Amino acid sequence: MLPHIDAAYNLARWLTRNDQDADDVLQEAMLRAFRFFGGLRGEARPWLLTIVRNACFSWLQANRPGDIELVDDDALESEASGPEALAAREIDRRRLNEALAALPVYLREALVLRELEDLSYKDIARVVGVPIGTVMSRLARGRRALAERLRPAAPAARLRVHK
Amino acid sequence: MRTDERALHAYIDGEMDAAASLELEREMAHNPALRAAVDRLRELSAAVRAHADYHRAPARLRQPARRNVRTWALIPAFAAAVLVAFGAGFLLGRPAEDAALGDEVIASHVRATLGARLVDVASSDQHTVKPWLSARLPFSPPVEDFSAAGYPLAGGRLDYVGGQPVAVLVYKRRQHVIDVFVRPGGGESAAPAQARDGFNVERFARHGMRYWVVSDLNRQELDNFVALLAGASQ
Repeated sequence: MLPHIDAAYNLARWLTRNDQDADDVLQEAMLRAFRFFGGLRGEARPWLLTIVRNACFSWLQANRPGDIELVDDDALESEASGPEALAAREIDRRRLNEALAALPVYLREALVLRELEDLSYKDIARVVGVPIGTVMSRLARGRRALAERLRPAAPAARLRVHK
Repeated sequence: MRTDERALHAYIDGEMDAAASLELEREMAHNPALRAAVDRLRELSAAVRAHADYHRAPARLRQPARRNVRTWALIPAFAAAVLVAFGAGFLLGRPAEDAALGDEVIASHVRATLGARLVDVASSDQHTVKPWLSARLPFSPPVEDFSAAGYPLAGGRLDYVGGQPVAVLVYKRRQHVIDVFVRPGGGESAAPAQARDGFNVERFARHGMRYWVVSDLNRQELDNFVALLAGASQ
């Protein structure tokens, strides 16, 4: 279990956006993980991340409900802006971290699990508890939102030109 | 063309099946805008992987025997257990690690006896309990039944003490529950027994395993039990 402590902490830290809170949530989650170790099925990492993820959301619900910003998972197809809107040149580290931290939590979660933990769509779906199609929508929306935030001095008018 | 945007993500994430990937690649070959879109997606994905902070767990989360009152307070049963542990002023003059572990095993005992989850595997058969624990732990704890002496084995559970998984063997003596925490490690072969708010705690080490025995059973009977346990594992 302890080999996955970094993955667990990374997820808790990105979801709570705070060291102390990640620390607190993770201690409780690890304890739960060991209590229910008997329920372990399949791979340990997605299983542990599921527990950590749920502990984070319970914590957010109780302490920072405003952070749980709902996303409309069906909205993607109706949006006109396609992948053309993505542009990621000259990314600087600080801006990228700020942009990722500023994403709505469901989109941030999908991106962290995909890009930082390198989970498959199937495992992300399992950790988050949603269908794979929803994972795909959230990744697409998350990446697009990230790209928009990273656009150098994005004048709104220029975005429209691409449509 | 109007490929579903999600398909492009599945493609760069390696989640698209071979046939669909080939088709998309054929399409990209004569659609520079589509190819550019895919390239930008790859670039963004690579940028996140390269530049987003990966927050590694701080050392204190890897270290055994650290306590964080704020976290325990999240769980009422823990809060109660911490009060029990702090209520008695036994921590003074003891090695910090042992004191903290002593607190944790009492906390675990209180939690288990207050809550419903006394055992994860209920069996008086050591040949059931031992493989169950061994299959879930990186070590194999010695398990013995002492029914003949009046201390029947009730089962076992897993817990997490001092940052490490431990086996907990649960024995009964009349209405009393005796929790035996076992994990690999050396240490004093025997240490003075402690009493904290009605709980007797004994600890010893045998053959590379460390034992903590916690119960509200009286000292005399618990001493007898510990003698059995220490003898059995020799």
